[in-house]
Amino acid sequence: MRYIKLSSKNFGRFFKSLEAWGTLYAPVKRGCIYSFQEVHDPGEMALDYNRTMLPPKKFFFRPKEAILRLKNGRWEEEVEAEPMVLFGLHPCDIHGLKILDKVYLDEPADPYYKSRREKTLIIGISCMPDEYCFCKSLGTHFAMDGFDLFLHELPDGWLVRIGSVRGHEIAWENGELFEEVTDEDLANFKEFEEKRSKAFQKELPQEGLADMLDLAYNSPVWKKYAEICLACGNCNMVCPTCRCYEVCDRWVDAYKAVRERRYDSCFMENHGLVAGGHNFRPTRLDRFRHRYYCKSYFDPSAGYNCVGCGRCDEFCPAKIEHVKVLEEVRGSLQ
Amino acid sequence: MNPYQTYDARILEVKDLTSREKLFTLRFLDPEVEAKFDFRPGQFVIVDIRGFGEFPISICSSPTRRGYFQLCIRKVGRMTKFVHKMKEGDVVGIRGPYGNGFPMEKMEGSNLILVAGGLGMAPLRSVLWYAIDTGKYENVWLLYGTKAYEDILFRDEIIHLLKHGEAMNCSVKLAYEVESPSCIYLERGFSDRVCKGVVTDLFRGEEFDVENTYALICGPPVMYKFVIRELLDRKLSPGRIYMTLERRMRCGIGKCGHCIVGTSTSIKYVCKDGPVFTYWDALSTRGLI
Ligand SMILES: Cc1cc2nc3c(=O)[nH]c(=O)nc-3n(C[C@H](O)[C@H](O)[C@H](O)COP(=O)(O)OP(=O)(O)OC[C@H]3O[C@@H](n4cnc5c(N)ncnc54)[C@H](O)[C@@H]3O)c2cc1C
Ligand code: SF4
Ligand code: SF4
Ligand code: FES
Repeated sequence: MRYIKLSSKNFGRFFKSLEAWGTLYAPVKRGCIYSFQEVHDPGEMALDYNRTMLPPKKFFFRPKEAILRLKNGRWEEEVEAEPMVLFGLHPCDIHGLKILDKVYLDEPADPYYKSRREKTLIIGISCMPDEYCFCKSLGTHFAMDGFDLFLHELPDGWLVRIGSVRGHEIAWENGELFEEVTDEDLANFKEFEEKRSKAFQKELPQEGLADMLDLAYNSPVWKKYAEICLACGNCNMVCPTCRCYEVCDRWVDAYKAVRERRYDSCFMENHGLVAGGHNFRPTRLDRFRHRYYCKSYFDPSAGYNCVGCGRCDEFCPAKIEHVKVLEEVRGSLQ
Repeated sequence: MNPYQTYDARILEVKDLTSREKLFTLRFLDPEVEAKFDFRPGQFVIVDIRGFGEFPISICSSPTRRGYFQLCIRKVGRMTKFVHKMKEGDVVGIRGPYGNGFPMEKMEGSNLILVAGGLGMAPLRSVLWYAIDTGKYENVWLLYGTKAYEDILFRDEIIHLLKHGEAMNCSVKLAYEVESPSCIYLERGFSDRVCKGVVTDLFRGEEFDVENTYALICGPPVMYKFVIRELLDRKLSPGRIYMTLERRMRCGIGKCGHCIVGTSTSIKYVCKDGPVFTYWDALSTRGLI
């Protein structure tokens, strides 16, 4: 890793220099929620945000998008993506993208996702946890890769970690904006990380978690929560690692049609429905449990399918808490 | 190459199998695509009716017979109704083949017991033909359970095998649930091999060499538990029991998430980890069967 310093006075120029790399998107405040939007001025950004409602997955795997267009009886594709700069991603969201990468870049790669991913610069930013965050328990509170640049806040600027060749290029081309990292900066970096580490309020113990959840398949706790759950699917939409989609063909006019895909949710009744009316997850209990199992799946090479961002808790209208459900299920084992 | 793109295939022939199922014989228009299209029994394709949608269907012909492939499609809903209206000469889109298929090479030299229920006959017909054409398997049993005489898929082929299967090391047994004059006639002709009942009744009196036999099962979801019990009772190892499963599928390539089964310790995609699984998989993956 290479480390450089960006002082506060150069931040505006640094921001401007990024425009050469593509359209800039960053967290902005909209009403009482945050959202990644196109920005043209550093002042528009809300860099002290806690979490956006939709995670950055929306830029790569869109809520709704055409995958093929039918013209003259043939499918045509538009894979070419616009270059983008995503500014201000938190470590959990960077980890979320890495989990999506495993699915969408695995051969055969999804060409839409892949093309957007390749054309996008990721710039991370340090954060302080709030009452919903539990990324530290999952080891996703610090990004060691998956970004081009990562900015850690210092009292008078930013300590920048360079995570890719493109990150090096930005630093190279704008050499005059950056300085060497001093011992004082290092001390500040260390102090910030220690303070942050202590600020986590929520914890999800890991020991044997996946196995204990599996063993508790018939736990009454699943049922208790499934009865409170509204099956709205919000938790799926806002989750940085949920990526189920449904496909539908739609006619534009008599000669043109599009094949569209859109976010799907495993809370929807038809998610596991097959022809003839057989449903592999017929009850809300089945679907509720399925989501928790899918999120808690432990892949030895990639970890859990959850990065602890806290979105599903914050945006659940039934106030169901992810960690609480898992803890209760685990606790229900006698 | 865009994995969602489909290739044109022409319908060479449409044949009514029953009142609900039709057999479509297809060939790719592009000779290069046709030449490259190779598959193993148990794999499936995604059929694309442009502007209307896609759906997965098992390939029911065998890769030993080149120049065409066949799909047996049951009319159940929106898309399949549409396909049933299609005629010889019409063109559909195809992508695939997908899934793992049955491990045909690994099973060479062994006995195969094919257990089919209803539409489950479709993917197993691919195995049956493959085994007969290659002659690389010891004995092949087909245990086939259907509702009624009219529902027997590939009826001509089944009756042909009832009569002449022995010469091909292939013996067929049939169970039907609804009595009819045709069934009684069949039962009279092949009293040791045709009976009224369900598919598990066909196991009665069957002995097989468990060290040298594989069982391949396909049928409606309820069937698996009962068939597997019969096989385990005869001491067949779970690793020798293969079953092919169905789930809702949209992508076929492990992206859309619909076919995911399992829990926190084992998640499987039916489309790419399956649709063929062994009974070991079923024991370690909840919700598989
Ligand atoms: C691996 C595999 C192999 C198969 N092999 C065969 C085979 O050999 N032969 C065979 O006949 N069948 C086979 N099937 C089953 C076949 O895929 C279904 O019968 C077929 O998809 C039915 O499509 P349909 O549109 O006619 O039915 P429908 O009942 O209309 O729809 C099928 C599915 O799509 C959903 N759906 C339909 N319309 C919409 C919509 N507008 N929005 C959202 N969801 C919708 C339904 O809920 C249902 O889950 C196989 C399935 C799998 C997974
Ligand atoms: S399950 Fe909840 S906490 Fe975990 S990544 Fe998804 S939205 Fe975030
Ligand atoms: S957001 Fe809450 S209420 Fe809605 S489906 Fe998820 S758990 Fe249920
Ligand atoms: S069918 Fe889409 S993931 Fe299996």
